[in-house]
Amino acid sequence: MTRAGQREVVVCALADLPPGERREAEGAAGHGVTVFNVGGELHALLNHCPHRGGPLCRGRVGPLARSTRVGFWTFEREGEILRCPYHNWEFDLKTGRALYDDRLRARRYPVTVRGGQVTIHLSRPNRRFPAPK
Amino acid sequence: MGAVDTRPRPAGQTVRSRKVAPYLVDCDCHHLWHKIDEIFPYLPRQYVQEIKDFGSMFPLGGWTNMPNSHGYRIDHDVDETTDFAEFTIREHLDPYGFDAAILTGQMVYPVVGMTNLDYAAAICRAHNDWTLEHWAAKDERFRVVLAVGPNDPVQAVAEIERLGDHPAVVGVMLPAGGRHPYGNRVYHPIYAAAEQHGLTIMTHFGGEGRGQTNPPTAAGFPTYYLEMRMARPQIAQAHAVSLICEGVFEKFPGLTWVFVEVDTWWIPGMLDHFDADWKAVRDYTPWVRRLPSEYFRSHIRVGTQPMEQPRSREHLLSFLEHAHADEVLVYASDFPHWDWDAPTSVAPDFPASMRNRIFGETAREAFHL
Repeated sequence: MTRAGQREVVVCALADLPPGERREAEGAAGHGVTVFNVGGELHALLNHCPHRGGPLCRGRVGPLARSTRVGFWTFEREGEILRCPYHNWEFDLKTGRALYDDRLRARRYPVTVRGGQVTIHLSRPNRRFPAPK
Repeated sequence: MGAVDTRPRPAGQTVRSRKVAPYLVDCDCHHLWHKIDEIFPYLPRQYVQEIKDFGSMFPLGGWTNMPNSHGYRIDHDVDETTDFAEFTIREHLDPYGFDAAILTGQMVYPVVGMTNLDYAAAICRAHNDWTLEHWAAKDERFRVVLAVGPNDPVQAVAEIERLGDHPAVVGVMLPAGGRHPYGNRVYHPIYAAAEQHGLTIMTHFGGEGRGQTNPPTAAGFPTYYLEMRMARPQIAQAHAVSLICEGVFEKFPGLTWVFVEVDTWWIPGMLDHFDADWKAVRDYTPWVRRLPSEYFRSHIRVGTQPMEQPRSREHLLSFLEHAHADEVLVYASDFPHWDWDAPTSVAPDFPASMRNRIFGETAREAFHL
């Protein structure tokens, strides 16, 4: 915990966030911040889509669908693609970047695990998570 | 500027070229017959007899062009003795200095709605032979797009194999009316043959709601001529979207598709919307690997006629830029119809930076001229 207000938020125990799962710190950074376990890597994204402001982190997670031949699908990068529930745009969970618009990137936050607790590090004091008195 | 109009002029009148671009192509120059009897020498005996017995049996579809079935303008001095090819050379190709004119026919568009596919194929073969002999042979500036019956891809391919390598032949005509959007795979053998022979596919409005084709609008049949004209863009949009979504340009990367007389105002809005929706649902059709607008800009060209007439010059320039006119638009006259655009009448509409592309260079690439 920092002194100048709450810049760190404990989200959950690491044991409660297995690969393929997500946990949201509601209200963190205003919109909420969600931590995704992507094959053992933790990635925290602001729950705010840079496209149209939707609750990005509550969207579907899946693979990247591609094709090498008309009428046939291939799937790669299983569990690494997040799509916003509002307009279905795809984002790379590992970078926050929109797959098909170079200008758009979801806001990301550093995540650490301390004493078995998943912790996100916000860049500014968080009014919704006041520092303990 | 290029060639000069060399026709005799009254003494004292300045001879001034009307040529608006160094290489000038008309992507929609209609060629017509007076009567279907003109193709009898190229038709099997049985069909000649059937036409004599029943008439042409071309499915009807209401309006094509006024003031008559030929659609020659009322100021055109034509009668039953006029050689239409020579008339077109004299009144159109020469005065404006065209380097090439794509002959787009019009009499045979209704073959898309015929139930008798053998008859449709025979009409197309006869039309093509007649075109080569009575038009292309008279002036090498005339370029031919083959009439084929899209509902019988086997015979369509056979016709492409038969004439596709003729030096005057540059394309294949698939009229806008039909049984399926043109991305549908039933037509793909036609595209494979066209690509193999270096031919461009053209779609001119026509045949909609005739015989076995779908209605001219998805809402149903229009009542009036003005309605019918307004139906053209939505048909072209449906075909263009189908071509891209069905991966036609992924399967046939060498293929170019030229739409004519389907208006152009819809291009900017459709492409923006197409791209935005692709970003949302592209995983349902991942073989559409690039932005839809990129396929459109690479593979689809659209004739300028009838030229859009926005309220202001400012709107026009904005539209042309938004539509990527320098890549996508190709000049088309629609000669000899009443609603045609002369090169000189629409040239001032285009910024100088786009003019050579629109009037010739883009079409030259599209048709490998």
